[in-house]
Amino acid sequence: MKTSLGTSLVAHTVILAWALVSISAPASFEVAPVEALPVDIVPVESITQIQQGDKKAPMTEKPSPKKTEKQNVVENAENAGENDVDLKNPPTPVKKPTTTETAAAPPKNEKPLPNPTTENNDVKEIAKEETAPKPVETAALPIPKPEITPPTPKPEPPKPEAPKPEPQAQKVEETPLPTTAPVPAARPRPEPPKQEEAKPAEKPPEKKTDTAHAEKPSDKKVADKKQETAKSSSSKQSDFNAEDIASLLNKQEAAGGGAKRSQQMASLGGKKNTGGSTLSQSEMDALKGQIQNNWSVIAGVDGGKGMIITVTMKLDPSGAIVGRPEVTSSGGNESARRMLEGSAIRAVMRSSPFKNLPADKYDAWSEVVVNFDPSELL
Amino acid sequence: MEHADLAAAANSVSLISLFMQAGLIVKLVMIGLMGASVWTWAIVIDKYMNFKKAKRQFDQFEQVFWSGQSLEELYRTLSDRQNTGLAAIFVSAMREWKKSFERGARSPIGLQMRIDRAMDVTMARENEHYEARLGSLATIGSAGPFIGLFGTVVGIMTSFQAIAGSKSTNLAVVAPGIAEALLATAIGLIAAIPAVMAYNKFTADAGKLSSRMEGFADEFSAILSRQIDEKLQPRQAAQ
Repeated sequence: MKTSLGTSLVAHTVILAWALVSISAPASFEVAPVEALPVDIVPVESITQIQQGDKKAPMTEKPSPKKTEKQNVVENAENAGENDVDLKNPPTPVKKPTTTETAAAPPKNEKPLPNPTTENNDVKEIAKEETAPKPVETAALPIPKPEITPPTPKPEPPKPEAPKPEPQAQKVEETPLPTTAPVPAARPRPEPPKQEEAKPAEKPPEKKTDTAHAEKPSDKKVADKKQETAKSSSSKQSDFNAEDIASLLNKQEAAGGGAKRSQQMASLGGKKNTGGSTLSQSEMDALKGQIQNNWSVIAGVDGGKGMIITVTMKLDPSGAIVGRPEVTSSGGNESARRMLEGSAIRAVMRSSPFKNLPADKYDAWSEVVVNFDPSELL
Repeated sequence: MEHADLAAAANSVSLISLFMQAGLIVKLVMIGLMGASVWTWAIVIDKYMNFKKAKRQFDQFEQVFWSGQSLEELYRTLSDRQNTGLAAIFVSAMREWKKSFERGARSPIGLQMRIDRAMDVTMARENEHYEARLGSLATIGSAGPFIGLFGTVVGIMTSFQAIAGSKSTNLAVVAPGIAEALLATAIGLIAAIPAVMAYNKFTADAGKLSSRMEGFADEFSAILSRQIDEKLQPRQAAQ
């Protein structure tokens, strides 16, 4: 026994020593560097049946567009947003007020261009051209100038002074002038009596015009003066403010979005609903039941085994069948198929109009396919 | 301490480091199981030698016994030695026979019974010798895995406690402790499997030797009974 025990001990020691040397450290596994690929499982419905919501929001059970601050309801609004008018463009964040370089009012000109004046004071301009009494005015218009200049240069200097007193006199008598014409008052008055006499003698043509428009000259003059004052005032103060006008015109922000309100937090969805509604099981059962009640299977028809009759019908929003339902069938023998097709159509027609269909899911039941399986009933 | 062990274990998973990292209980279990393994193999070697020798002796003795040699002569040569197996049975029976005739036995039935008893006793002693230590093989074979499992459970428990302390579930932290614990089961299995196999083999061998001895005892008893009849017949006739 002693020898065997010694042998055993020696053998164990040898084996253990060999094990320590040879299998001391098992080679560690080589781990290949694998990049993790994120995988999302996206249901097809999220692409094919988009509900109105927010594109960047997380998915929730019920899609809803971004919560709006205003909650007053705008009728028939389709696009979510804060606007009062349902616009189609998406709501964009309000831009910070930036210093926009708008064209400032035109610099003060002693001689304003004709264009702005014609726009603002059309009538006055025309009236003035008819008379064409002043060199200042005609100078602005190049074409009329050469025509009129030959006669006018000499008599003009006295003229402006000559007619003015008349209107002054007439003004006082005939028309109470607006207070906006104080200029003539400042002009020298002592002279008129002298020139009044001289003027008629020198200038008959000039007078003619004056006499032809016996009463008008005063108006024209007033208009002239008015225009002058208007011009001077516009050139001096430039009360034209483009921004004010723009703000008055732009009562709606163009990028303000629609007017549909939302009370819920935003959730994943698209801009619009794209036919996403589906009938629930109970609604489907209700539809089935209505047809089932009206389906009387003809007793004693052979060959109905394995037959499937498919009726495709279109419904209008009230639930009534539009047109004639389409019937196709397969399986069974032909005579039985014909009989059962007839019974299926009759069942469908008799149950029209269908009731208790949800109006808001009309897109889901506008076209209904009914499968009849007569094998269970025969 | 166990924290430090775990941290160090992340790098070394060799057998010796696994053993050194283990806790005291697990170490004791491992050492005990190694001892059991050594003992198992010692028994295996011893029994293998013994049985081989016994078988050879049985063959030799049977050859001599059935060679037609005189039983008296055979007894004379064998009685001086220390005998085992069949030879021991033969010697014990012959000794009883001789004693009975020297003192002038009266009843042949009594003589026959005494010889049978003597042979039975010798046979039992020989059987005991053959089956000695097979029990410890059986114990190691059945209990070894359980002892190893105990070491594993304790090792995993302490390992998990250490993991809870280190607050990391990284596999590099968890794995060495568990490997170390599993080593105990491995050693238990290493000790138990040869023990079970050896136990089965040596019980079968011992059974074979025992049946062979029984067969020899029966045969020899029959021979002696015939001899008794032959020897006692003339005496009775003379009376």
